[in-house]
Order: sequence, then structure tokens, then C-alpha cells
Amino acid sequence: MFRRLRLSQFDLALFAAAAGLVLMSNLAMMSAAATLRWTLALKHGIFTLIGMILGLVVGRLNYQRWSEGVGLGYGASVMILAIVLVAGAVRLGATRWLSVFGFSLQPSELAKLTTAWLLARYLAGQATPLSWSVLGTSLLLVIPPALLVFVQPDLGSATIFFAIWFGMVWVAGLSRRTVGILLGALLAVLPIAWHGLKAYQRDRLLVFLDPHIDPLGAGYTIIQSTIAIGSGQLLGRGWFAGTQNQLSFLPERHSDFIFSVIGEEWGLLGCLMIVVLFGLLLLRIARVALSTSAPQGRLLAVGIFSWIGYQAFINMGMVMGVLPVVGVPLPLISYGGSSMVMLWVALGLVQSIRWTDRL
Amino acid sequence: MTERLEQLRLFLLVGLSLLAIRLVDLQVVRGGHYRQLAEQNRLRLVPQQAPRGLIVDRHGTILASNHVVFRVAIVPQELDELATVLTTISSLVHRPVDVLEREFKKERSLAFLPATIVSQVPKDTAIRLEEERWQLPGLLIRPETMRAYPLGSRAAHLLGYLSQPTAEELPLLKPYGVQPKQLVGRMGLERLLDPALQGHGGGLMVEVNHRARQVRVLGERSPQPGGRVVVTIDANLQSLVEQTLSTHRGAAVVLDPFTGAVLAAASSPTFPPEAFTTPGDETVVRLLEDPESPLMNRVGIAYQPGSIVKLLTAVAGLEQGVVTPRTQIVCGGSITIGDRTFHCWNRDGHGALTLPEALMQSCNVYFMTVARRLGVERLRAVMEQTGLAQRTGWPLEEQTGSLPHRRLSEGELALLGIGQGEIAITPLQAAVMASVFANGGSVVQPWLLDTITGQTVDRPGVRRRMPWSSSTIQTVRSGMYAVVNGAEGTGHRAYSDHIVVVGKTGTAQTHKPGFTHGWFVGYCPFEHPQVAFAVVSEFGGSGGELPAEVGRNICEYVAASAKSP
Repeated sequence: MFRRLRLSQFDLALFAAAAGLVLMSNLAMMSAAATLRWTLALKHGIFTLIGMILGLVVGRLNYQRWSEGVGLGYGASVMILAIVLVAGAVRLGATRWLSVFGFSLQPSELAKLTTAWLLARYLAGQATPLSWSVLGTSLLLVIPPALLVFVQPDLGSATIFFAIWFGMVWVAGLSRRTVGILLGALLAVLPIAWHGLKAYQRDRLLVFLDPHIDPLGAGYTIIQSTIAIGSGQLLGRGWFAGTQNQLSFLPERHSDFIFSVIGEEWGLLGCLMIVVLFGLLLLRIARVALSTSAPQGRLLAVGIFSWIGYQAFINMGMVMGVLPVVGVPLPLISYGGSSMVMLWVALGLVQSIRWTDRL
Repeated sequence: MTERLEQLRLFLLVGLSLLAIRLVDLQVVRGGHYRQLAEQNRLRLVPQQAPRGLIVDRHGTILASNHVVFRVAIVPQELDELATVLTTISSLVHRPVDVLEREFKKERSLAFLPATIVSQVPKDTAIRLEEERWQLPGLLIRPETMRAYPLGSRAAHLLGYLSQPTAEELPLLKPYGVQPKQLVGRMGLERLLDPALQGHGGGLMVEVNHRARQVRVLGERSPQPGGRVVVTIDANLQSLVEQTLSTHRGAAVVLDPFTGAVLAAASSPTFPPEAFTTPGDETVVRLLEDPESPLMNRVGIAYQPGSIVKLLTAVAGLEQGVVTPRTQIVCGGSITIGDRTFHCWNRDGHGALTLPEALMQSCNVYFMTVARRLGVERLRAVMEQTGLAQRTGWPLEEQTGSLPHRRLSEGELALLGIGQGEIAITPLQAAVMASVFANGGSVVQPWLLDTITGQTVDRPGVRRRMPWSSSTIQTVRSGMYAVVNGAEGTGHRAYSDHIVVVGKTGTAQTHKPGFTHGWFVGYCPFEHPQVAFAVVSEFGGSGGELPAEVGRNICEYVAASAKSP
């Protein structure tokens, strides 16, 4: 099943960028975990290793052989999402996790990948520009997992599904007219969607416009996170020496707000490193998408590109106070085993797309 | 497809660049500001008050000090169960739980800062509470210093008092390091020397976490106690004067006639300064509403002087040659100027009098005649040069007083010569005048501050040397001698077997018919003067009565302390 991997077929830059990100992630995690539970840093390290190994393994598989089973995977993830709603563990007011053999899994992470893959398979054979019926069908594939995630409730993750979808249909061939119509429809739906949001979600969006509306409530996180990043200045306050982090002024500092810890302790230098590494990683993924001749592989790579790119942008923008707080973790950096493993699997698929193409 | 992908890639690069710009803005452009905010987040300054400086008299007797009081406080972050703690405290200090709880809610601020719920408990209660403390986490008994005045209300007007700054004052005092609950000097020396007495508060720099709980102490600056102030007052003399004066309203000033050092400055009625320091003391309201104005320092209040200014009329007459020591003027009991007749206090008349005799008997006709011969300019010039109706320049509150500055009628001129009409002087000015005769012609400036923290305070010198001939001074002195020691002297009540007292009485008519201010100014001992003094008794009758007695007491104290130094 495995063939000997030649070095020229291995995307070293992609791997190095991802490895650089997880390295910084683990260092920051130790510092963030110092005042939480030290086991967080240990678990994060273990998941990083598991993810890396799994990613390397996936990289040596022929993804095309597995694409047959994607429909099954998609169906399974949607079903697990449904089960989570019924039997999931409630944490921080949301049911996002499923306990299996002592591990808590976040099935939305699996759903992102299977949805992207299924979309890639479906869109690969379609004529361009995409017809309305194709567009409608593709949207029908996205809505079930997105809706199930939205009602957890997890607004941030729900939007990721649409970001993946949009990136993919855009590249697959969407006429500009259709994009215009979609934008118009979105604007029309927004007021209705506003009423569908939970009170706290609306608060977060309002507070984003002015964090000082509620400095001790919803605005607290944004204010403290901005202070943390800003106070890092050029070179940061030093590893384990960020006061916002170590004195617990930063909420969710191991998960959604890990970037603030990096900003505080490593300063502009650390932050720019993260931004540059994300840039490098995404450019490598885009390069694979550009160079592959297989439409399915290209679209899958685009899906992964949109997924990581959108999520990274939203998270960093959020912790810097330029985007609303919509609980989205920073890919490869934030705490979360499911997310870490699935991202490595996704990166493995990118490697597989690159390699498979040259068989 | 390729084109679309490249657009997506461009989109990514734009997005990441925007993030990078925002990062530079946050961390470089505004980094300093956010660093400061982060420091404010975690650093708290816990102020520690410096003990206020002592005020002692010339012999080291303590006039103002600090004593330890015990406060009952609760440290919120150590609290286990508020109800139990409050119940225990309540049973020991005999105050209802809900009152204590209200106080706690009002006073609590940061989790690690003790919130005072009872501001003062007796020592034995403090000890009982301390014994209970081990089973009541959160309870804290704090010893704290409080201003004390060991002599009670003695010298209260000189010392002044302390109270909390008002909401309007606080912003003005903040730059000087004054904390909201810190007491500030309100009057007298406490106000004058407030910066020196305050000392420099210290504090703890504490690192706190997001729940405002103390994580560790980063630094400490110990408070520097306020400076020790030595004043020129003699506490024993001050007490004696206050005691003799206590039955009347009035004031007395005792000076060292050569240096101007204030040995005693009493104002009656007086007040207990500690009343202002104890929160909620009802005495304060009573003091403020008292029609006798006990808070007013009468030492610096201007009164009509009456006959004591005859000393200066005499000097002016002799110096200008309108009379000689032997000139006799006949007092027939009254004098008619224009269409007005002025009576001498002795309506039968004093007969023919020389100047010393006229001083001894305080003859109005004699000095009205001298004043008319002098004219207003020459009379007023001597009064002004001797410091009447001018601020003496002592460090505390004083009024200016007044002299007429318009054209006077003959009658008004004559009245000015006997200290009536539009003339008002303060006891301080009267004491300075008495000093001029004691020291032979020097106008001194009264002063109070000897040293502050061991540093000598600049002493005022002699303000003016009067160009009076020695025979003029001797003549007036012999008159002052006669006032107390002569057979018919008006100030014979000041006479003492132990020391030779000289002086001049005054009984000034006031705007209240039938009420007079009694004055006595003088010095002692006659040959080698040690003290000069002025005593006024407000609406208190004749100067030959209480004021002369106070003068005698002052002098006998001088005699006694000369024997036992």
C-alpha cells in the first residue's frame, strides 16, 4: 500500500510551516496552562503528536481511493452531530462535545473535513459556470451540518461551513452575477438571522461595535485581550511572564484567546511569526491546488485553504478587537484535540493531493 | 479556475496584511498605552499613613501627639463566613449585626484591603477579639494612630484641629498625597504646618489577579513620620493663663519682650480639639453653634483699647515737647470741647497732675488735653510706628485692627488720645506695645515656631527701633510703675509681693452701653524685664479687675520659675 516516499514529493515547506505553528502553540500552551491545569499542556502535546503522525500517514495515502467513502463519512458526521445535540456534554452553555471512552470529541471538526471533501467530489464533475441547481444542491450539502452546529449553539463554527462552501464554489466557477445575487440574498436574510441569534450572541456582536458598552460583561474579553496583545509591544513580556495571562485577566486563554498569550509574551515578533507561518502554510496549500490536475483534489485543497484561512483570520481579528467575538479557535494553535487531529489529517490530504497527482 | 484561485490567494494576502497592520498599531504605536493598562490591571497601591509629627512646647511638654486606637476590620479575601464573624464582633462590641454588615458593605473595596467596620474599640475588647481571631478567618484587629492632645483644650487655638477633607477639597489636596480618609489640619499650627506634620505616607505595591486578590507584594515604602515641631509656648504658663481667664471671654498674650517669642497665647472660651477627630462627635455641632464662638482665636481679634493707648499719647506728648515730665495739667472732672463736655471717669476731678500721676490715675482730661496739643497726625504716627492697627506678622490668624484715617473733629481727636472712638487693636498688638516699654524702644514681631525636625525656623528680628529719648521711656515707665505700685494706682490688683509688676489698665467703652472691655498691659520684673503681656476681657468690666489679676498671675509664675529654674 505504501510506496517509498521521495523527498521531492514531500511538501517540506507545508510541513515546516505547520510544525512551526504547533511548536509555538505548545510553548504558549505551557504558559497558558501554568495557571489553569498543567495537564492541558501535556494533552495538547500528545494531540499534536497524534495529529502529526496521522497527518504523515494520510499524506502517503491515495486520497482518490478513499473518496468513495466520503459520502459515508459525511453521513456519519451529520449523524454524530445530531447525537451530540441529544446526548452531548454541556460545557460553557453549549453542547459541542461527545464523550467517547473518556475522551471528549468535537464532531464539528470531523464534519468540516467530510463536508469539504463531499463538496469537492460533487463540484468536481460540474460544468462551469455552476448552474443554479448545482449551487442549490451544494448548499443543501452544507446546511445540515452547519445548522446542527448553529443550534449547539456555535455561531462561529457554523459560519466556517459557509466559508468553506463559498471558497469552493467560487473556484469551481461561480458567475459574478450569481455572487451578486447571493450577496443580496445574504443582506436580505441578515435581519431575520439577527432574530434567530441567542441573546448572548447578539450581545457579543453589539459589544464588538463598542466593547465599553459592558466592560465587565461581554466587553471584558475584548478589552483584556486587546490589552494583553498591545502590552506585549515589540518583543513581548517573556515566556511565562505575561501578566494578563499569568494573573488570569485573559479568559479562555488556552483556547480561543491563545493568540493574546502569544501577543503578550512574545510581542509583535511572535505575532508576526504566526501570521507569516499561516501565510506560508496557506500559500503552499494554494500552490498544491494550482498545480494539481485533478479537479476533486484541487477543490478539496481549496476547501481546506478556505477553512484554515477563514478560521485563522476570524480568530486573530477577534482577539485583536477588529472582528466580533464568535468563539472560533485558532487552527493548529488553540487547545482542542479534535481540531488539532482533524487539521493534521486535512494537511495530510493536501500532501496526498500533491503526491497522488504525480503517481 | 486558476484565475479564481489566484484571487482567493490575493484575498488571503490582503487579509493577513490587515492583521499585521493592526498588530503594529496595537503593539508598537499604542503598545506603551496598553502596557500601562496591563500594569494598572495588576498593580494596586495600598497606602500606609505616616504618623503625624509631634508638637511640643519649649520645655518638651507634649502639646499634640498620637495615641494608638484599635480598629476592627474584615479582609474580604480571607473571609469564610461573614455571618459568624459579624455575630462574634457584634456580641463583643455591642452593636447590632445589621449595622456592622452595612458598614462592611460600605467600606469594602479590594479583596485584600481590610474594610474597617468599627473605628475604635477599647483595648480589652481588642484583646478579646484577637483571641477569637483564629476561628474567624477574615477578622483583623488593626492598631492605628489617632491624633491626641494630652492637655485637652489647652492651647487649642494655637494647635488647631484636624478633620477629613471635604469632597471639594480632595482634588486640590491629592497632589500632596492626601488620601480620602486622611485628616488634614484645619486651624492654627495643625493647618499652618500641615505639610511638615503630615510626613510622607508609605505604601505597599501589590500584584493582584483578575479577582483583585493579592498574589504577592512587589515592593514596600515605609512611611516617614511627620516632623517634630517645637514651639515657643510655655505649656505651664499657657495653662495658668487659660485657667485664670476661663471665667470670662477674652484673650491674653505673653511675649519675651526682647525676642518677640510667644510664651503664652490664650483665648477664652476654648474647645477640645479631639472632638473634631472623632467621627460623629456631637460636641462639634455644639461648638460651631455656640454664640460665644469658642473656635475664634481672640488673640488676633481687634478690640477698642481704651486707656492702654495713653502710654503712647504720653510718649508722643513728651517726644513732641507738648508736655514735660513735670508739666501739670489740672483735671476738674470734665473738659468741654466745642459744645461737647467730656467727663473724666473721676467726676470730682483729679486736680493738678504730672504725667506719671496722670498715668497712675488714668486721667482722661490730662491725655485728652495732650492729644489736642499734638494733633491727629503726630498722635497717629506714634501709634502706627508702635504697630497698632497693623498685622504683627505672627504666623497664625490675626486681624489688622483700625485707626482713623480721616479728618477728626477736636472731640474725636481728644477721644483718640484715650483710646476711644475709631480705634481697635488686637491683644497681640497690645503685647507688642507693652514689649516696647519693657525692652526700651524696640518693636518686635511675635513668633511661635522654634524648630521643625531639629531645624531652626527663621526668627523675625526687631521690626523697628523707636527713636524715643531714654527720659521719655523712663517717664512712662515710672507711670506704669505707679499704676500697679502707687497708692492710687488703677492696676493695684496686679501688685505682687514676689515680683515688681508694672503696667497700664484700660476700660474701653463699647457699642454696647454699660459694657466695657477691660485691658491690662504690662511687663515684669520692672528692673530686668522677662515678659511683656496684654490681657483683654471682652465686655468684662474694668481692666483693673480680672485683666490685672491675670497680669499678676503671669508675673508670679515668672518669679516662681526664676527661683526654680
